[in-house]
Amino acid sequence: MQILQFVIDGLLLGGVYAAVGVGFALVWGIMNIINLAHGAMIMLGAYVTFWLFKLAGVDPFASIPVAMAMLFILGWLIQRYLINYVVRAPMLITFLMTFGLELLIVDLSLNFFSADNRSVQTFYSGARLDLGGLAIPLVHLYTLMVALVLVTLLQLFLVRTRIGNAIQATSMDLDAARLVGIKISRVYALTFAISAAAAGAAGSLISVNYSINPTAGAFYTPIAFVVCVLGGLGSISGALVGGLMFGVVQSMSQAYIGPAYQNAIAFALLILVLLVRPTGILGVKTAT
Amino acid sequence: MKPPAARFAALAVLILVLLVVPFVSTGYILRLLTLLFTFAVMASAWNLIGGFTGYADFGVVVFFGLGGYTTGLLMLKAKAPFVAAWLAGGLVCLVFAVLMGLLLLRLRGHYFAIATLGTSFAVREVIANWPSVTGGGTGISLPIYQFPNSVFYFIMLGLLIVIVSLTRWISLNRLGFGLVAIRENEQAAGVLGVNAVRYKVTAYTVSGFFIGMVGGAYAYWITFIDPGTTFDVGITVEVVIMAVLGGAGTVAGPLVGAFILTIISEVLNGYVPSIHLTVLGIIIVTVVLLIPGGVIEYLGLKRKLSFRSIGATLAETRV
Repeated sequence: MQILQFVIDGLLLGGVYAAVGVGFALVWGIMNIINLAHGAMIMLGAYVTFWLFKLAGVDPFASIPVAMAMLFILGWLIQRYLINYVVRAPMLITFLMTFGLELLIVDLSLNFFSADNRSVQTFYSGARLDLGGLAIPLVHLYTLMVALVLVTLLQLFLVRTRIGNAIQATSMDLDAARLVGIKISRVYALTFAISAAAAGAAGSLISVNYSINPTAGAFYTPIAFVVCVLGGLGSISGALVGGLMFGVVQSMSQAYIGPAYQNAIAFALLILVLLVRPTGILGVKTAT
Repeated sequence: MKPPAARFAALAVLILVLLVVPFVSTGYILRLLTLLFTFAVMASAWNLIGGFTGYADFGVVVFFGLGGYTTGLLMLKAKAPFVAAWLAGGLVCLVFAVLMGLLLLRLRGHYFAIATLGTSFAVREVIANWPSVTGGGTGISLPIYQFPNSVFYFIMLGLLIVIVSLTRWISLNRLGFGLVAIRENEQAAGVLGVNAVRYKVTAYTVSGFFIGMVGGAYAYWITFIDPGTTFDVGITVEVVIMAVLGGAGTVAGPLVGAFILTIISEVLNGYVPSIHLTVLGIIIVTVVLLIPGGVIEYLGLKRKLSFRSIGATLAETRV
């Protein structure tokens, strides 16, 4: 029974990680860019939720669309006016560009929001469901549900809509996509905007589960790496699987080896997966 | 380009001036220059694997921290003299780099970058959670040194001269050509008879050894190390930015980059401390947009920074 509880805790936690990884996976898969500012964008989303809750009393889950919309616009601007200009440059250049953006966002947040730890405490924050001896925190359950909806919608968008297909076509063959009339710069801007929106949603979810501060985002960028690698690079469903797996691994190692080593184990796992099965657990070779 | 003799003379004068500096300058200048050399050595060392070989190593702090911790712990727990502990730190990094290199250099591109980044997190966590040996998250204080600060200036300067000379030698010899061949096309290099594994691991090991030596000396210089600041990813990124800013894959690039970035950081910290990182972020983004090849390449092009030249640069990389 106890082990079942740990698995459930892990899966619930995994919802947050899936949300963290999914936007990262999109940009990585479509544009082959490692977005080092992903964690910083997640924190911006968390702050949108926090301020709406604090100043206007908006329920944190209700503010998710707002956070997504705001981050969508920011993401679109960043890609359209900055990253698009270096998108075909060597990997290091895009690394540096996104790291510069990370510095900028984090430092501006520190100036505007201060370095204080903040958290969103709702009236149902401590509530939990009791399922025959298994405790399920309500907030964690909502978080997982939102994450599942998010991933499903994104996957449907990519597979079922014309624009989604254009995004996928761009990642498969840039020149062929251009030949059939896809405007690459717009597709890239849209892709990054969607990724940023997903980051915004992930931030909202994080703000109800953990305390936040402007530098906390730095922690989530490497998490996004791990999640993407675990599930298989660049695939949306891979990010979901990777996120849930990462949650379970973390919960298990916390329970059986001790909380101190949970991050060390996560990164050791990352390196192991990279070496043994670099295409990820799902084994998708190309992007979604 | 100036004739070789003139360049050699200029270099000799520069080194002479640098050797005299500690005897005439203030403590502030000395500290700044020591810090500058510290980063210049690491940027040059990174350049061997990241610049010449094209493997984006994001695990600089693995060696910086291991060198520092080995030196510190040997001095503290085994009462070893600094030089012995320092060399032992370098040796540990050397061995670790060989093992890590054999394991991780099979990965390419983003995968290698992430694996090295992951290693730096994993090593940090192990050190932070092993208090009986490493002092844990609170860190350790090294013995206070009984000699003037300038000793560290000379140590870092010495390391810098060695690594730059070594880089220059490598760039003119078989090893350097092999590394560049690997960067440009690893399979083709293999066909031409370059033993890619041996070349890559060599570059990575030299790089790790020097970064470890810097870490050891740095730890003794600041006398206190803890996992959070010693294994700070920020250090890794700063080193990489310096190399790229100056020009990755060139001998002088990392020096130029380290010089520019250290000075800029210092000025910003002095005048606008609260938005220091904001400005730094803007600078990084601007540099990447305007001179992605680095300062050295830009100077070599002899192209003025005009809208047309920027347009020409961007036309190659934009969509």
